[in-house]
Amino acid sequence: MSTASIVVAVTAFVLGALLALLTIPVLVWLERRIASLVQDRLGPNRTNVFGFRLGGVVQSFADVVKLLLKEEYYPSHIKKGRWLFMLAPVITFAAALLAFMAIPFADTLHIDGEALRVQALPIDYGVLWYLAIGAIGVLGVIFGGWMSHNKYALLGATRAGSMVISYELPLGLSIVSFIVTYNTMDFNAMVQWQSGTFFGFLPAWGIFVQPLAAIILIISLFAETNRNPFTVAEGESEIVAGYMTEHTAMKFAMYFMGEYVAMNTASAVIITVIFGGYQVPWVSTEMMLAHFSGFALSLMIAIPVIVFLLIRWMRKNNTVRPTVSTDSGRNFETKVLSIALIGMTLLIEAILLYLAFFANSPLGESISVMLFQIVVFVVKLMAFNIFFILIRWTVPRFRYDQVQHLGWYYLLPLALLNLFVTALVVVGVNS
Amino acid sequence: MLEISIFAILALFMLGGSITMIVNKQPVFSAFGFLVTMIGLAGMFALLNSQFLAIAQIMVSVGAVVVLSMLTILTVNAKEENLPKEPHKFKWILFSSIVVAPFTLLVYKTLSILPAHFSDIGTINSKVVGELLFTDWVLPFEILSILLLSAMLGAIVIGRDSKKKKKKSQKRRRL
Repeated sequence: MSTASIVVAVTAFVLGALLALLTIPVLVWLERRIASLVQDRLGPNRTNVFGFRLGGVVQSFADVVKLLLKEEYYPSHIKKGRWLFMLAPVITFAAALLAFMAIPFADTLHIDGEALRVQALPIDYGVLWYLAIGAIGVLGVIFGGWMSHNKYALLGATRAGSMVISYELPLGLSIVSFIVTYNTMDFNAMVQWQSGTFFGFLPAWGIFVQPLAAIILIISLFAETNRNPFTVAEGESEIVAGYMTEHTAMKFAMYFMGEYVAMNTASAVIITVIFGGYQVPWVSTEMMLAHFSGFALSLMIAIPVIVFLLIRWMRKNNTVRPTVSTDSGRNFETKVLSIALIGMTLLIEAILLYLAFFANSPLGESISVMLFQIVVFVVKLMAFNIFFILIRWTVPRFRYDQVQHLGWYYLLPLALLNLFVTALVVVGVNS
Repeated sequence: MLEISIFAILALFMLGGSITMIVNKQPVFSAFGFLVTMIGLAGMFALLNSQFLAIAQIMVSVGAVVVLSMLTILTVNAKEENLPKEPHKFKWILFSSIVVAPFTLLVYKTLSILPAHFSDIGTINSKVVGELLFTDWVLPFEILSILLLSAMLGAIVIGRDSKKKKKKSQKRRRL
């Protein structure tokens, strides 16, 4: 174990934990703001700390404080097994958090001939890890629903369990067809496979190579994470809040946060398996490292443009109507954020300039490429999370029998057929 | 030292889980004990540096067995007073553990004199397992799948028959 490997391992682990945990408030905020966007209103944007409202993200922290300070309430009819009732949300949350750890955030770093994975949990069986740990998550839902001793909770738990069983099959089969195509079970190797081109002009992403399996994967992951249009386990109009009817305060918050972490993990799996992970289309890691000065120059041009557009958008939108007398610190916030953004841009420009033209250090170059890939990963992750949220607020919920019908009658046969055709094509190409 | 302490913690979890599973009257707590045992077993495999086996263990035992048994418990939804009474449970547990003890010793002795290449786990990964399953061990693999299929068919047949019997018994009761 060299120092570099320890540093990279610790950094990757911290990055994984932060990406999973710090996205929760951002996702809650995005959920509310996008719901408002769809429903033509503004959403939460007033809560602030010293005038900083950051578009309303601060509201999520206020919510956390509220949930922490709420009274812990236990239903009095739960006599035996209160500990399991309390443990159930923790199982769901922990499983969702652990499943995220197998996702690679950047390509393998090569330092002094040592290959270091930028992955919180550097294992070769990332896909299997996700499937295995993802199955534990539903156990928390089932235990919680059973321990509530409540009809609605029992119905919700049964629905969640049977839905997971019926959608695990198409999910597993579609992932198997990806494994057959990429010839690996390792997430990182999957992303590397997708760096080439397909038919000469398309990026070789899973969605172009395996369109049917990609669609099945996305649908079954929506069902696995209990998101709309598959929220039958907590269908408010039918069974109150489903499995979490009796859970209050922080116990409810655990389920709530577990749902967002699971959604984040599902987005990460989707972009890793079918949208090229941390990679920019048409550009592989080796290409970026080989033409580092060109890469640095294009970044140096792109970053100021993006920051300029962002600042202009902020100046336009972070204001109040001219008829309102006080803007309660919005101008001040815009000014501070603009200065911070410009300062960061200047710093990044200086570092890139130094690395590209004055220093000749492969270490610095590979680290900057790694950071760039992490940024690309986060951008893709957020884009897919927004897709998840948009679907929730635009598509109505399926009825329970429709969900089962879709899973068993359409997705399962299609996934089987796709696997069969994939195997035939792969054998035909390789022989 | 670290390995031994991790082993001890996992073993404690496994022992506690399996005792919970046997002793408890409520099937939910038994299922939870089984879950803890299986995760502890997966941890044991991971401690032996056999990642594939550990993950497969979680996938099969937790993802399939525990979820399905929990689903059965949810569907049956037995009340506490309807659970079967077991007055001599602890006597039975003691008796059966005494009966099983020599066999455990036998298994231990057999496993400790296994040839060396059995314990060489460094080379076992999913590719090796897959190739072995479809070349050297293809016959046992197929026989196992037939066994599972027959179990499934048997379950379906039993489920159908009991329905008919129920109807008959209901008729008899009415008569």
